[in-house]
Amino acid sequence: MSALPNRRVEDWKYTDLRNAIEGEAVASAPVARWSVTLSGTVEQNELPEIMARGTHGEMGTVAAAHAKSGIFLHVGKGEQGTVHLELSNAGHGRALIVVEEGASLTLRETMSVGDFSNIAIEIVAGPNAQLHHIREANADGESVRVSDYSIRIAQGATYRAHFADFGAKLSRTELHIALEGEGAEVHLSGVSVLGDGGHADVTTRVTHSAGNAQSTQLFKLIAGGKSRGVYQGKVSVAEGANGSDSRQTAKGLLLGERAEIDLKPELEILADDVKCAHGAAIGDLDPESLFYLRSRGVAEPEARALLMRAFLEDAVAEITDEDIRAEVWSHVEAALAELTA
Amino acid sequence: MAALETREQVAALGEKYKYGFVTDIEMERAPKGLSEDTVRFISAKKGEPEWMLEWRLGAYRRWRQMREPTWARVHYDPIDYENAYYYAAPKSAADGPKSLDEIDPKLIETYNKLGIPLNEQMLLAGVAVDAVFDSVSVATTFKEKLSEAGVIFCPISEAIRDYPELVKKYLGSVVPVTDNFFATLNSAVFSDGSFVYVPKGVRCPMELSTYFRINAQGTGQFERTLIIADEGSYVSYLEGCTAPKRDENQLHAAVVELVALEGAEIKYSTVQNWYPGDEEGKGGIYNFVTKRGDCRGARSKISWTQVETGSAITWKYPSCLLRGDDSVGEFYSIAIANHFQQADTGTKMHHLGKNTRSRIISKGISAGQAQNTYRGLVSVHPRAANARNYTQCDSLLIGGKCGAHTVPYIESRNKSARIEHEATTSKIAEDQLFYCLQRGIPQEEAVALIVNGFCREVLQQLPMEFAVEAQKLVGISLEGSVG
Amino acid sequence: MLEIEGLHVAVSGKEILKGLSLSIAAGEVHAIMGPNGSGKSTLSYVLAGREGYEIISGSIRYRGEDLAAMAPEERAAKGVFLAMQYPVEIPGVTTMNFLKTALNAQRRARGEKDIDALGVLRLVREKAKALHISEEMLKRALNVGFSGGEKKRLEILQMALFEPALAILDETDSGLDIDALKVVADGVNGLRSSERAMLVITHYQRLLNHIVPDRVHVLYGGRIIKEGGKELAHELEAKGYAEIIREAA
Ligand SMILES: Nc1ncnc2c1ncn2[C@@H]1O[C@H](COP(=O)(O)OP(=O)(O)OP(=O)(O)O)[C@@H](O)[C@H]1O
Ligand SMILES: [Mg+2]
Repeated sequence: MSALPNRRVEDWKYTDLRNAIEGEAVASAPVARWSVTLSGTVEQNELPEIMARGTHGEMGTVAAAHAKSGIFLHVGKGEQGTVHLELSNAGHGRALIVVEEGASLTLRETMSVGDFSNIAIEIVAGPNAQLHHIREANADGESVRVSDYSIRIAQGATYRAHFADFGAKLSRTELHIALEGEGAEVHLSGVSVLGDGGHADVTTRVTHSAGNAQSTQLFKLIAGGKSRGVYQGKVSVAEGANGSDSRQTAKGLLLGERAEIDLKPELEILADDVKCAHGAAIGDLDPESLFYLRSRGVAEPEARALLMRAFLEDAVAEITDEDIRAEVWSHVEAALAELTA
Repeated sequence: MAALETREQVAALGEKYKYGFVTDIEMERAPKGLSEDTVRFISAKKGEPEWMLEWRLGAYRRWRQMREPTWARVHYDPIDYENAYYYAAPKSAADGPKSLDEIDPKLIETYNKLGIPLNEQMLLAGVAVDAVFDSVSVATTFKEKLSEAGVIFCPISEAIRDYPELVKKYLGSVVPVTDNFFATLNSAVFSDGSFVYVPKGVRCPMELSTYFRINAQGTGQFERTLIIADEGSYVSYLEGCTAPKRDENQLHAAVVELVALEGAEIKYSTVQNWYPGDEEGKGGIYNFVTKRGDCRGARSKISWTQVETGSAITWKYPSCLLRGDDSVGEFYSIAIANHFQQADTGTKMHHLGKNTRSRIISKGISAGQAQNTYRGLVSVHPRAANARNYTQCDSLLIGGKCGAHTVPYIESRNKSARIEHEATTSKIAEDQLFYCLQRGIPQEEAVALIVNGFCREVLQQLPMEFAVEAQKLVGISLEGSVG
Repeated sequence: MLEIEGLHVAVSGKEILKGLSLSIAAGEVHAIMGPNGSGKSTLSYVLAGREGYEIISGSIRYRGEDLAAMAPEERAAKGVFLAMQYPVEIPGVTTMNFLKTALNAQRRARGEKDIDALGVLRLVREKAKALHISEEMLKRALNVGFSGGEKKRLEILQMALFEPALAILDETDSGLDIDALKVVADGVNGLRSSERAMLVITHYQRLLNHIVPDRVHVLYGGRIIKEGGKELAHELEAKGYAEIIREAA
């Protein structure tokens, strides 16, 4: 393969992979493995090599080339199911998940291994399908992990996803999402809670190729210590995709003296009957709120923790599955406790 | 600000680009193409000292090793740098600006037609003008009045001769010779532009302005402007630009450097109306411009206001280096792209000092088949405690064939800094349009009215004398975009 | 002045007006009452020529001409004025400038000379005073941040300024306080003449105490189901729509 993506490549400006890992280590990484837990009507099969055809970024393409085998999950028309993917062996991995017309799936992803992982996942949501995806990446200052998703959403289907990232030596989550049918919807949210030397980069590319589709994004980043939080989001509306509605919000809270947050919310609009907006902000905790709480007798560390939770609240609330939300929230609480300790 | 004169603006339309005429005047040019000899020719024409020639040659050699940038969202056929003239001047103006009554009447007439009478009595009171025609300055008005206040306002070629120490100290100190492809090209072949020095504590008694005119065929214009506001001083400067209608594309690669020392303030306004090309996208100016201001001293302030309606291609990012503590940078922009125009413009705010503040207001309008991109950077350095930025970036689309793009980079490395950015993209609201129609306002006028309202916050930043002109331009630029 | 016959109108493919007939002679004031969603605003938009209101069948004649064939701004210049139920905000365009632009556009369309800025200012001031509209409001962007009542008053100011031949007031009374209601009614009554006609859409009998109508129509389901003299408004107030609808059925 050619040189690893680095900061001279526009899309990797804030995430220098070449700096984090040797090209040799990438080339010689093994094939990743998951432990898979299924319920409901989900079929699991070996993924034939030929089947990867999503639009991936640089590293997704590398993963697809290296991972000879992979997993293929299928939810048939009108069926329902849940899947838990736990990454058990690091390396290059590949998966295809197809949710047929009118079917629904709750997909949960977690990882418990370090080292180098590079995962390419392709998701296809058929007409009127419902997909709820929650991914959590634990704090691991040693590991380098790249996940590259290619997601196609058909008419009337909804893809709702949440990405909770607690930081790695380098962590990159890349989402290539195409709203391909009228009335398709995507709702992305996420929290990055980073301490010390952690890094987390969420890069989204949402394309409205059909009209009357809707996309929302809500990402919250907290960067303590000398960590670095990155959000790059690009929303494109293709020519003729009238009635597109898109809203994008990215907010960062800088807590560490040597921390950095970089936001790049991008709009590329080629149709005129659209409503698109984005907002981005970076700051510290609001001193007035802090003062207010303290004047009511709340001690400073507690007041700070309270405000940080409040800052993350609405993004986590985007997780509709109550049990999973509670679990993610408990991990967020733990990460915050560590940050403020 | 005066009320929007929408009615008048539409009535005054007549011809779409009314500055498209050519002045028939005998010209002197450098030989075609670009070489060390071209650079020497230009330097000799200007009677420059040796150090200036060396500076240019250094830039030229460097440029030969550089590549044209490709990251902007603009597309054009490769520019043949060997097939252009880098110097063209009316023969009658070869020795630089003369006293006003000695100027070639053809030039006087040209500027009259452009609405810039060079006769001091006829000029807008309170505005001094430097008129640049292709590669030379042909007149500078109110020089005496300004020098009474100690303000230097002259063509840059004159400044190189008369104020070498100031020029040596500041030229290239904000935009280094090697900054970027077009800036380096400019450093090698720049012809004329304005030089302004406002001494300590002086509030410049009048608006300063430069009027750039491209006239000659096959010629690029490479203006260079340098403005220095010494401690505690204030100056407001405005530039305007036009060019004849031609089928060929002409290159305009300017460099503007601003230096604001402690407590000084510079207000820089641009009304850019270079020929945009015709309705089929033929012809028009390539406007590749590097503008940067350095808030070098504490409590200094630099404010950019631009109304960009012309040019086939605009590539321009007026920026601020906020180095002094408590310094302030502002960027107010209207960019209109119609027919086949392409604009990629925005700003960079580098927060380096403590308590630095910046504000960005950008209004982009796309119509026809045009592409309009806002590209901006707000960066907060670790030292820039309590830095503040506010950005509002709105795009309006007229018709389904054009594009509006927003590419902001927001980078913070100081925890006490606060950055806020908002952006919207939408089409002209149908209910607003209907409301205007119902009250009897015809479609085209209604669009001009609504767009002017959309741009108001920026128009208000312009000096009074130019605000009305700019409003008219907004209406004219959008002609033929509806119905 | 206005003759509407068998008018069927659809919005986004949905038929809203279903055979509406109505005729107003010069010098008359007619009131239209009807429950929410009955099609009152739809009728007013059709008369003003808003895009997206598709006339399926029927005719609208205004002073003998086919109104439907005219562009909205042409109708305005010919004296059709619609005071909207929800006046639109236009950021950045000052109210005064808007009034001047509109007034002169209409004049020009009629082949009359422009009135200069000062003349317009004088005219507007005089009308604004009568309507208790402050000078400060005229300097602000059109309707932006205006209260509900202020927006309505500004609509009436425009009516007074343009002196239309046919004024349609769509719920101009809702959102007005008691004093403002009186002021607005005075404004309307001041314009009443043998050359003008008015169509007043309202939910409340209260307004009709001040602006006494010649005829009252009840609109329901896209059709006029009942009409009568000014006493019909009292009857409606007393019985409510349900009973009137039952009677008409
Ligand atoms: N664009 C549209 N698409 C579908 N239905 C519409 C549309 N616009 C209006 N309607 C419907 O047409 C009907 C008549 O609306 P209209 O606004 O004319 O009612 P109205 O009599 O003025 O009511 P109100 O008293 O509440 O003002 C309503 O049922 C409304 O929902
Ligand atoms: Mg209504």
